[in-house]
Amino acid sequence: MLDQQSLRSSQFSLDDADIERRKIIVDLAAEDISRITTLKGVIAQEGDRYTEDFFRYLRDLGEAPALFGRRDALAEAKRRKREHLTALTNGVYDQTYVDQRAALALLYSRYGLETRAFLGAFHHLLRALGGDIMKRFPDDPNGAFQRFMSVKKVAFFDIGIITDVLTSERERTISQQQEAIRELSTPVLQVRDGLLILPIIGMIDSLRAKQLTDSLLRAIRANRARMVVMDITGVAAVDSKVANHLIQTVAAARLMGSTVIITGLSADVAQALVALGVDLGKITTTADLQGGLEEAERLLGYRVVRSAEAPGQRLSA
Amino acid sequence: MAADATHVAIAHDSDIVEARRKGRELAQRIGFAGSELTIIATAISEIARNIVVYADRGEISLSEADNGGRRGIVVVARDEGPGIPDIERAMRDGYSTGNSLGLGLPGARRLMDDFEIMSTVGQGTIVTMRKWKR
Repeated sequence: MLDQQSLRSSQFSLDDADIERRKIIVDLAAEDISRITTLKGVIAQEGDRYTEDFFRYLRDLGEAPALFGRRDALAEAKRRKREHLTALTNGVYDQTYVDQRAALALLYSRYGLETRAFLGAFHHLLRALGGDIMKRFPDDPNGAFQRFMSVKKVAFFDIGIITDVLTSERERTISQQQEAIRELSTPVLQVRDGLLILPIIGMIDSLRAKQLTDSLLRAIRANRARMVVMDITGVAAVDSKVANHLIQTVAAARLMGSTVIITGLSADVAQALVALGVDLGKITTTADLQGGLEEAERLLGYRVVRSAEAPGQRLSA
Repeated sequence: MAADATHVAIAHDSDIVEARRKGRELAQRIGFAGSELTIIATAISEIARNIVVYADRGEISLSEADNGGRRGIVVVARDEGPGIPDIERAMRDGYSTGNSLGLGLPGARRLMDDFEIMSTVGQGTIVTMRKWKR
Protein backbone atom coordinates (compact mmCIF):
# COMPACT_ATOMS: atom_id res chain seq x y z
CA MET A 1 0.00 0.00 0.00
CA LEU A 2 2.77 2.39 0.82
CA ASP A 3 5.20 1.14 -1.76
CA GLN A 4 6.95 3.49 -4.15
CA GLN A 5 4.75 2.37 -7.01
CA SER A 6 1.48 3.46 -5.45
CA LEU A 7 2.92 6.76 -4.33
CA ARG A 8 4.01 7.55 -7.85
CA SER A 9 0.61 6.81 -9.32
CA SER A 10 -0.38 10.48 -9.10
CA GLN A 11 -1.05 12.21 -12.39
CA PHE A 12 1.12 15.02 -11.15
CA SER A 13 4.39 15.63 -12.93
CA LEU A 14 6.45 18.67 -13.81
CA ASP A 15 9.08 19.08 -16.48
CA ASP A 16 12.21 21.19 -16.05
CA ALA A 17 10.59 24.24 -17.62
CA ASP A 18 7.65 24.01 -15.17
CA ILE A 19 10.07 23.79 -12.27
CA GLU A 20 12.06 26.81 -13.44
CA ARG A 21 8.82 28.73 -13.90
CA ARG A 22 7.76 27.89 -10.36
CA LYS A 23 11.09 29.13 -9.03
CA ILE A 24 10.55 32.43 -10.83
CA ILE A 25 7.04 32.65 -9.39
CA VAL A 26 8.37 32.47 -5.81
CA ASP A 27 11.38 34.64 -6.76
CA LEU A 28 13.90 31.96 -5.81
CA ALA A 29 17.34 33.02 -7.05
CA ALA A 30 20.97 31.87 -6.75
CA GLU A 31 21.68 34.12 -3.73
CA ASP A 32 18.75 32.52 -1.91
CA ILE A 33 20.21 29.10 -2.46
CA SER A 34 23.61 30.09 -1.09
CA ARG A 35 21.90 31.54 1.99
CA ILE A 36 19.74 28.45 2.48
CA THR A 37 22.65 26.02 2.33
CA THR A 38 24.18 27.74 5.38
CA LEU A 39 21.22 26.34 7.34
CA LYS A 40 22.04 22.65 6.85
CA GLY A 41 23.38 22.55 10.39
CA VAL A 42 20.11 23.79 11.87
CA ILE A 43 18.20 21.03 10.15
CA ALA A 44 20.73 18.38 11.05
CA GLN A 45 20.35 19.39 14.67
CA GLU A 46 16.64 20.16 14.88
CA GLY A 47 15.09 18.28 11.92
CA ASP A 48 13.81 15.36 14.02
CA ARG A 49 12.17 17.71 16.48
CA TYR A 50 10.51 19.74 13.68
CA THR A 51 9.15 16.56 12.17
CA GLU A 52 7.71 15.33 15.46
CA ASP A 53 6.27 18.79 16.16
CA PHE A 54 4.66 18.98 12.74
CA PHE A 55 2.68 15.80 13.28
CA ARG A 56 1.98 16.47 16.94
CA TYR A 57 0.52 19.84 15.97
CA LEU A 58 -1.87 18.13 13.56
CA ARG A 59 -2.79 15.42 16.03
CA ASP A 60 -3.49 17.94 18.79
CA LEU A 61 -5.81 19.75 16.40
CA GLY A 62 -7.62 16.50 15.70
CA GLU A 63 -6.80 16.75 11.98
CA ALA A 64 -6.26 13.78 9.64
CA PRO A 65 -7.38 11.10 12.12
CA ALA A 66 -6.95 8.47 9.40
CA LEU A 67 -3.23 9.23 9.26
CA PHE A 68 -2.80 8.83 13.02
CA GLY A 69 -4.83 5.64 13.00
CA ARG A 70 -2.36 3.96 10.69
CA ARG A 71 1.05 3.36 12.19
CA ASP A 72 2.74 2.43 8.92
CA ALA A 73 1.30 5.45 7.11
CA LEU A 74 2.35 7.79 9.89
CA ALA A 75 5.87 6.35 9.94
CA GLU A 76 6.08 6.79 6.18
CA ALA A 77 4.81 10.37 6.39
CA LYS A 78 7.35 11.20 9.12
CA ARG A 79 10.18 9.65 7.15
CA ARG A 80 9.23 11.70 4.11
CA LYS A 81 8.79 14.87 6.14
CA ARG A 82 12.26 14.43 7.62
CA GLU A 83 13.65 13.78 4.13
CA HIS A 84 11.91 16.96 3.03
CA LEU A 85 13.61 19.06 5.70
CA THR A 86 17.05 17.82 4.69
CA ALA A 87 16.29 18.44 1.01
CA LEU A 88 14.91 21.88 1.88
CA THR A 89 18.36 23.12 2.92
CA ASN A 90 20.37 21.15 0.36
CA GLY A 91 19.76 23.80 -2.26
CA VAL A 92 18.82 21.47 -5.12
CA TYR A 93 15.23 21.86 -6.26
CA ASP A 94 14.99 19.54 -9.25
CA GLN A 95 12.75 16.74 -10.54
CA THR A 96 13.71 14.45 -7.66
CA TYR A 97 12.88 17.15 -5.13
CA VAL A 98 9.51 17.79 -6.79
CA ASP A 99 8.72 14.07 -6.99
CA GLN A 100 9.46 13.69 -3.29
CA ARG A 101 7.14 16.58 -2.44
CA ALA A 102 4.44 15.14 -4.68
CA ALA A 103 4.77 11.71 -3.07
CA LEU A 104 4.33 13.20 0.38
CA ALA A 105 1.35 15.23 -0.80
CA LEU A 106 -0.18 12.07 -2.21
CA LEU A 107 0.21 10.42 1.17
CA TYR A 108 -1.51 13.42 2.79
CA SER A 109 -4.30 13.21 0.27
CA ARG A 110 -4.76 9.48 0.81
CA TYR A 111 -5.05 9.88 4.56
CA GLY A 112 -7.35 12.85 4.50
CA LEU A 113 -5.06 15.70 5.51
CA GLU A 114 -6.86 18.85 4.39
CA THR A 115 -4.95 21.66 2.69
CA ARG A 116 -5.83 24.15 5.44
CA ALA A 117 -4.56 21.80 8.15
CA PHE A 118 -1.35 21.13 6.24
CA LEU A 119 -0.81 24.89 5.85
CA GLY A 120 -1.32 25.45 9.56
CA ALA A 121 1.16 22.75 10.55
CA PHE A 122 3.70 23.79 7.95
CA HIS A 123 3.51 27.37 9.14
CA HIS A 124 4.00 26.14 12.70
CA LEU A 125 7.16 24.34 11.53
CA LEU A 126 8.46 27.42 9.73
CA ARG A 127 7.93 29.56 12.82
CA ALA A 128 10.06 27.15 14.86
CA LEU A 129 12.71 27.11 12.15
CA GLY A 130 12.67 30.91 11.95
CA GLY A 131 13.16 31.19 15.69
CA ASP A 132 16.13 28.82 15.59
CA ILE A 133 17.75 30.67 12.68
CA MET A 134 17.54 33.93 14.61
CA LYS A 135 19.15 32.24 17.63
CA ARG A 136 21.93 30.75 15.52
CA PHE A 137 23.07 34.13 14.19
CA PRO A 138 22.65 36.37 17.26
CA ASP A 139 25.19 38.93 16.01
CA ASP A 140 23.68 39.19 12.55
CA PRO A 141 19.91 39.56 12.89
CA ASN A 142 19.69 41.05 9.42
CA GLY A 143 21.53 38.11 7.84
CA ALA A 144 19.41 35.66 9.83
CA PHE A 145 16.27 37.36 8.59
CA GLN A 146 17.54 37.22 4.99
CA ARG A 147 18.22 33.51 5.36
CA PHE A 148 14.77 32.89 6.74
CA MET A 149 13.15 34.81 3.88
CA SER A 150 15.07 32.66 1.40
CA VAL A 151 13.88 29.48 3.10
CA LYS A 152 10.38 30.85 2.94
CA LYS A 153 10.61 31.09 -0.83
CA VAL A 154 11.34 27.37 -1.03
CA ALA A 155 8.55 26.75 1.46
CA PHE A 156 6.12 28.52 -0.86
CA PHE A 157 7.55 26.62 -3.81
CA ASP A 158 6.70 23.44 -1.85
CA ILE A 159 3.24 24.67 -0.90
CA GLY A 160 2.57 25.27 -4.59
CA ILE A 161 3.38 21.65 -5.37
CA ILE A 162 1.52 20.22 -2.40
CA THR A 163 -1.69 22.16 -3.00
CA ASP A 164 -1.58 21.28 -6.72
CA VAL A 165 -1.28 17.58 -5.89
CA LEU A 166 -4.08 17.77 -3.33
CA THR A 167 -6.31 19.55 -5.85
CA SER A 168 -5.53 17.21 -8.71
CA GLU A 169 -6.16 14.20 -6.48
CA ARG A 170 -9.52 15.64 -5.58
CA GLU A 171 -10.34 16.19 -9.24
CA ARG A 172 -9.27 12.65 -9.98
CA THR A 173 -11.62 11.35 -7.31
CA ILE A 174 -14.46 13.39 -8.78
CA SER A 175 -13.86 12.11 -12.27
CA GLN A 176 -13.67 8.52 -10.99
CA GLN A 177 -16.98 9.02 -9.23
CA GLN A 178 -18.52 10.47 -12.36
CA GLU A 179 -17.32 7.42 -14.22
CA ALA A 180 -18.91 5.19 -11.59
CA ILE A 181 -22.20 7.10 -11.81
CA ARG A 182 -22.14 6.69 -15.56
CA GLU A 183 -21.71 2.95 -15.29
CA LEU A 184 -24.43 2.72 -12.68
CA SER A 185 -26.84 4.82 -14.68
CA THR A 186 -27.09 2.53 -17.69
CA PRO A 187 -28.82 -0.55 -16.37
CA VAL A 188 -30.21 -3.06 -18.85
CA LEU A 189 -33.07 -5.00 -17.30
CA GLN A 190 -34.86 -8.10 -18.47
CA VAL A 191 -38.64 -7.76 -18.17
CA ARG A 192 -39.52 -11.13 -19.61
CA ASP A 193 -38.01 -13.73 -21.83
CA GLY A 194 -36.54 -11.99 -24.86
CA LEU A 195 -37.53 -8.48 -23.73
CA LEU A 196 -35.09 -5.95 -22.29
CA ILE A 197 -35.72 -2.51 -20.95
CA LEU A 198 -33.10 0.22 -20.98
CA PRO A 199 -34.07 3.35 -19.06
CA ILE A 200 -31.74 6.23 -19.86
CA ILE A 201 -31.42 9.11 -17.43
CA GLY A 202 -29.26 12.20 -17.68
CA MET A 203 -26.99 13.41 -20.42
CA ILE A 204 -25.98 11.42 -23.46
CA ASP A 205 -22.53 12.38 -24.69
CA SER A 206 -20.34 10.38 -27.03
CA LEU A 207 -18.68 8.40 -24.23
CA ARG A 208 -21.96 7.56 -22.55
CA ALA A 209 -23.54 6.64 -25.88
CA LYS A 210 -20.72 4.19 -26.48
CA GLN A 211 -21.05 2.64 -23.00
CA LEU A 212 -24.77 2.43 -23.49
CA THR A 213 -24.46 0.67 -26.82
CA ASP A 214 -21.83 -1.68 -25.38
CA SER A 215 -23.89 -2.72 -22.39
CA LEU A 216 -27.04 -3.06 -24.48
CA LEU A 217 -25.37 -5.28 -27.06
CA ARG A 218 -23.84 -7.42 -24.33
CA ALA A 219 -27.24 -7.79 -22.66
CA ILE A 220 -28.92 -8.63 -25.96
CA ARG A 221 -26.45 -11.45 -26.46
CA ALA A 222 -26.59 -12.69 -22.86
CA ASN A 223 -30.38 -12.69 -22.71
CA ARG A 224 -31.00 -13.62 -26.35
CA ALA A 225 -33.29 -10.62 -26.46
CA ARG A 226 -35.45 -9.97 -29.49
CA MET A 227 -37.04 -6.76 -28.27
CA VAL A 228 -35.59 -3.79 -26.43
CA VAL A 229 -37.58 -0.91 -25.01
CA MET A 230 -35.34 2.13 -24.62
CA ASP A 231 -36.93 4.82 -22.48
CA ILE A 232 -35.56 8.33 -22.90
CA THR A 233 -38.02 10.19 -20.65
CA GLY A 234 -35.13 11.14 -18.37
CA VAL A 235 -32.69 12.34 -21.03
CA ALA A 236 -31.73 15.91 -20.27
CA ALA A 237 -31.21 17.26 -23.76
CA VAL A 238 -32.21 15.69 -27.03
CA ASP A 239 -30.67 17.28 -30.11
CA SER A 240 -29.40 16.01 -33.44
CA LYS A 241 -26.23 14.58 -31.91
CA VAL A 242 -28.15 12.66 -29.27
CA ALA A 243 -30.64 11.52 -31.92
CA ASN A 244 -27.71 10.32 -34.02
CA HIS A 245 -26.39 8.29 -31.08
CA LEU A 246 -29.82 6.72 -30.59
CA ILE A 247 -30.11 5.90 -34.28
CA GLN A 248 -26.72 4.19 -34.22
CA THR A 249 -27.54 2.23 -31.06
CA VAL A 250 -30.78 1.06 -32.66
CA ALA A 251 -28.94 0.06 -35.84
CA ALA A 252 -26.35 -1.90 -33.85
CA ALA A 253 -29.09 -3.71 -31.91
CA ARG A 254 -30.82 -4.55 -35.17
CA LEU A 255 -27.61 -6.18 -36.43
CA MET A 256 -27.74 -8.35 -33.32
CA GLY A 257 -31.25 -9.42 -34.30
CA SER A 258 -33.08 -7.26 -31.83
CA THR A 259 -35.75 -4.63 -32.45
CA VAL A 260 -35.63 -1.45 -30.43
CA ILE A 261 -38.65 0.62 -29.47
CA ILE A 262 -37.89 4.09 -28.18
CA THR A 263 -40.29 5.49 -25.63
CA GLY A 264 -40.61 8.73 -23.74
CA LEU A 265 -40.03 11.14 -26.57
CA SER A 266 -42.03 14.19 -25.51
CA ALA A 267 -44.27 16.05 -27.94
CA ASP A 268 -42.01 19.12 -27.76
CA VAL A 269 -38.85 17.16 -28.45
CA ALA A 270 -40.57 15.36 -31.32
CA GLN A 271 -41.48 18.70 -32.90
CA ALA A 272 -37.99 20.06 -32.44
CA LEU A 273 -36.40 16.96 -33.97
CA VAL A 274 -38.68 17.13 -36.98
CA ALA A 275 -37.87 20.82 -37.45
CA LEU A 276 -34.19 20.00 -37.18
CA GLY A 277 -34.62 17.49 -39.96
CA VAL A 278 -33.70 14.36 -38.02
CA ASP A 279 -35.02 11.28 -39.82
CA LEU A 280 -36.41 8.93 -37.21
CA GLY A 281 -38.34 7.03 -39.88
CA LYS A 282 -36.45 3.81 -39.29
CA ILE A 283 -37.10 3.87 -35.58
CA THR A 284 -40.16 2.54 -33.83
CA THR A 285 -41.34 4.93 -31.15
CA THR A 286 -44.22 5.03 -28.76
CA ALA A 287 -45.24 7.97 -26.61
CA ASP A 288 -44.74 6.33 -23.23
CA LEU A 289 -43.08 3.37 -21.57
CA GLN A 290 -46.34 1.51 -21.06
CA GLY A 291 -47.19 1.75 -24.76
CA GLY A 292 -43.68 0.56 -25.62
CA LEU A 293 -43.89 -2.48 -23.35
CA GLU A 294 -47.33 -3.40 -24.70
CA GLU A 295 -46.11 -3.08 -28.27
CA ALA A 296 -43.01 -5.17 -27.53
CA GLU A 297 -45.06 -7.88 -25.83
CA ARG A 298 -47.49 -7.93 -28.72
CA LEU A 299 -44.62 -8.35 -31.19
CA LEU A 300 -43.19 -11.17 -29.07
CA GLY A 301 -46.58 -12.90 -29.06
CA TYR A 302 -47.48 -12.25 -25.44
CA ARG A 303 -50.99 -11.32 -24.48
CA VAL A 304 -51.57 -9.76 -21.10
CA VAL A 305 -54.95 -10.76 -19.65
CA ARG A 306 -56.38 -9.55 -16.39
CA SER A 307 -57.06 -12.41 -13.99
CA ALA A 308 -60.73 -12.99 -13.10
CA GLU A 309 -59.73 -13.16 -9.45
CA ALA A 310 -58.16 -9.70 -9.44
CA PRO A 311 -59.80 -7.47 -6.83
CA GLY A 312 -60.25 -4.73 -9.45
CA GLN A 313 -62.29 -7.09 -11.55
CA ARG A 314 -64.59 -8.07 -8.70
CA LEU A 315 -65.22 -4.49 -7.70
CA SER A 316 -66.24 -3.48 -11.19
CA ALA A 317 -68.44 -6.55 -11.67
CA MET B 1 -24.92 43.44 -27.11
CA ALA B 2 -27.33 44.13 -24.30
CA ALA B 3 -25.73 44.77 -20.93
CA ASP B 4 -27.78 42.09 -19.22
CA ALA B 5 -26.72 39.27 -21.51
CA THR B 6 -26.06 35.88 -19.94
CA HIS B 7 -22.80 34.29 -21.00
CA VAL B 8 -22.07 30.61 -20.91
CA ALA B 9 -18.55 29.39 -21.60
CA ILE B 10 -18.61 26.33 -23.84
CA ALA B 11 -15.87 23.71 -23.76
CA HIS B 12 -17.45 20.39 -22.77
CA ASP B 13 -20.62 18.46 -23.42
CA SER B 14 -21.88 19.40 -19.97
CA ASP B 15 -21.65 23.09 -20.94
CA ILE B 16 -24.12 22.43 -23.75
CA VAL B 17 -26.68 21.31 -21.20
CA GLU B 18 -25.96 24.43 -19.15
CA ALA B 19 -26.42 26.70 -22.18
CA ARG B 20 -29.69 24.99 -23.02
CA ARG B 21 -30.93 25.38 -19.46
CA LYS B 22 -30.02 29.08 -19.28
CA GLY B 23 -31.57 29.68 -22.70
CA ARG B 24 -34.75 27.96 -21.69
CA GLU B 25 -34.97 29.99 -18.48
CA LEU B 26 -34.49 33.26 -20.32
CA ALA B 27 -37.00 32.30 -23.01
CA GLN B 28 -39.49 31.50 -20.29
CA ARG B 29 -38.95 34.90 -18.63
CA ILE B 30 -39.44 36.59 -22.00
CA GLY B 31 -42.75 34.80 -22.35
CA PHE B 32 -42.13 31.83 -24.61
CA ALA B 33 -44.00 28.68 -23.69
CA GLY B 34 -44.49 25.02 -24.49
CA SER B 35 -42.84 23.62 -27.56
CA GLU B 36 -41.18 26.96 -28.36
CA LEU B 37 -39.02 26.53 -25.27
CA THR B 38 -37.83 23.14 -26.45
CA ILE B 39 -37.23 24.49 -29.95
CA ILE B 40 -35.09 27.35 -28.64
CA ALA B 41 -33.21 24.99 -26.31
CA THR B 42 -32.58 22.57 -29.16
CA ALA B 43 -31.26 25.33 -31.46
CA ILE B 44 -28.89 26.44 -28.68
CA SER B 45 -27.84 22.84 -28.26
CA GLU B 46 -26.97 22.52 -31.96
CA ILE B 47 -24.76 25.60 -32.17
CA ALA B 48 -23.15 24.91 -28.78
CA ARG B 49 -22.42 21.39 -29.99
CA ASN B 50 -20.73 22.84 -33.08
CA ILE B 51 -18.42 24.85 -30.84
CA VAL B 52 -17.41 21.77 -28.83
CA VAL B 53 -16.88 19.63 -31.93
CA TYR B 54 -15.15 22.10 -34.24
CA ALA B 55 -13.69 24.94 -32.16
CA ASP B 56 -12.96 23.25 -28.79
CA ARG B 57 -14.10 26.29 -26.86
CA GLY B 58 -16.23 29.37 -27.23
CA GLU B 59 -19.10 31.21 -25.66
CA ILE B 60 -22.86 31.46 -25.95
CA SER B 61 -24.50 34.78 -25.08
CA LEU B 62 -28.19 34.94 -24.41
CA SER B 63 -30.20 38.14 -24.23
CA GLU B 64 -33.59 39.62 -24.79
CA ALA B 65 -34.39 41.20 -28.13
CA ASP B 66 -36.87 44.00 -28.69
CA ASN B 67 -37.92 44.96 -32.18
CA GLY B 68 -40.35 47.86 -31.80
CA GLY B 69 -42.50 46.19 -29.20
CA ARG B 70 -41.99 42.67 -30.45
CA ARG B 71 -40.08 40.61 -27.93
CA GLY B 72 -37.77 37.77 -28.58
CA ILE B 73 -34.55 36.05 -27.65
CA VAL B 74 -31.11 36.55 -29.20
CA VAL B 75 -28.56 33.79 -29.06
CA VAL B 76 -25.00 34.55 -30.11
CA ALA B 77 -22.40 31.79 -30.39
CA ARG B 78 -18.80 32.94 -30.65
CA ASP B 79 -15.68 30.92 -31.09
CA GLU B 80 -12.11 31.43 -32.17
CA GLY B 81 -11.94 28.11 -33.90
CA PRO B 82 -10.78 27.22 -37.41
CA GLY B 83 -13.71 28.96 -39.10
CA ILE B 84 -15.90 27.56 -41.86
CA PRO B 85 -14.34 27.68 -45.36
CA ASP B 86 -17.59 27.12 -47.25
CA ILE B 87 -20.56 28.49 -45.35
CA GLU B 88 -23.02 27.71 -48.11
CA ARG B 89 -22.06 24.09 -47.94
CA ALA B 90 -22.08 23.99 -44.15
CA MET B 91 -25.65 25.31 -44.24
CA ARG B 92 -26.74 22.42 -46.46
CA ASP B 93 -28.54 19.47 -44.84
CA GLY B 94 -26.45 16.40 -44.35
CA TYR B 95 -23.11 18.08 -44.92
CA SER B 96 -20.71 17.33 -42.12
CA THR B 97 -16.97 17.14 -41.64
CA GLY B 98 -17.48 15.91 -38.09
CA ASN B 99 -19.11 12.48 -38.45
CA SER B 100 -22.60 13.66 -37.55
CA LEU B 101 -25.97 13.93 -39.21
CA GLY B 102 -24.95 17.31 -40.62
CA LEU B 103 -28.08 18.97 -39.33
CA GLY B 104 -26.57 21.33 -36.77
CA LEU B 105 -26.45 24.65 -38.61
CA PRO B 106 -29.27 24.15 -41.14
CA GLY B 107 -31.39 22.59 -38.40
CA ALA B 108 -30.80 25.51 -36.04
CA ARG B 109 -31.74 27.89 -38.86
CA ARG B 110 -35.04 26.08 -39.35
CA LEU B 111 -35.76 26.16 -35.63
CA MET B 112 -35.22 29.92 -35.26
CA ASP B 113 -36.67 32.95 -37.06
CA ASP B 114 -33.47 34.82 -37.93
CA PHE B 115 -30.12 33.22 -38.48
CA GLU B 116 -26.84 34.89 -39.42
CA ILE B 117 -23.44 33.35 -39.64
CA MET B 118 -20.09 35.08 -40.03
CA SER B 119 -16.97 33.06 -40.28
CA THR B 120 -13.36 33.80 -41.14
CA VAL B 121 -11.02 30.91 -41.75
CA GLY B 122 -8.36 30.85 -39.05
CA GLN B 123 -10.19 33.38 -36.91
CA GLY B 124 -13.47 31.95 -35.84
CA THR B 125 -17.20 31.92 -36.25
CA ILE B 126 -20.08 34.00 -34.94
CA VAL B 127 -23.61 32.70 -35.22
CA THR B 128 -26.43 35.05 -34.31
CA MET B 129 -29.97 33.75 -34.15
CA ARG B 130 -33.26 35.15 -32.95
CA LYS B 131 -36.67 33.83 -32.19
CA TRP B 132 -39.63 36.21 -31.91
CA LYS B 133 -42.70 35.74 -29.82
CA ARG B 134 -45.81 34.98 -31.84
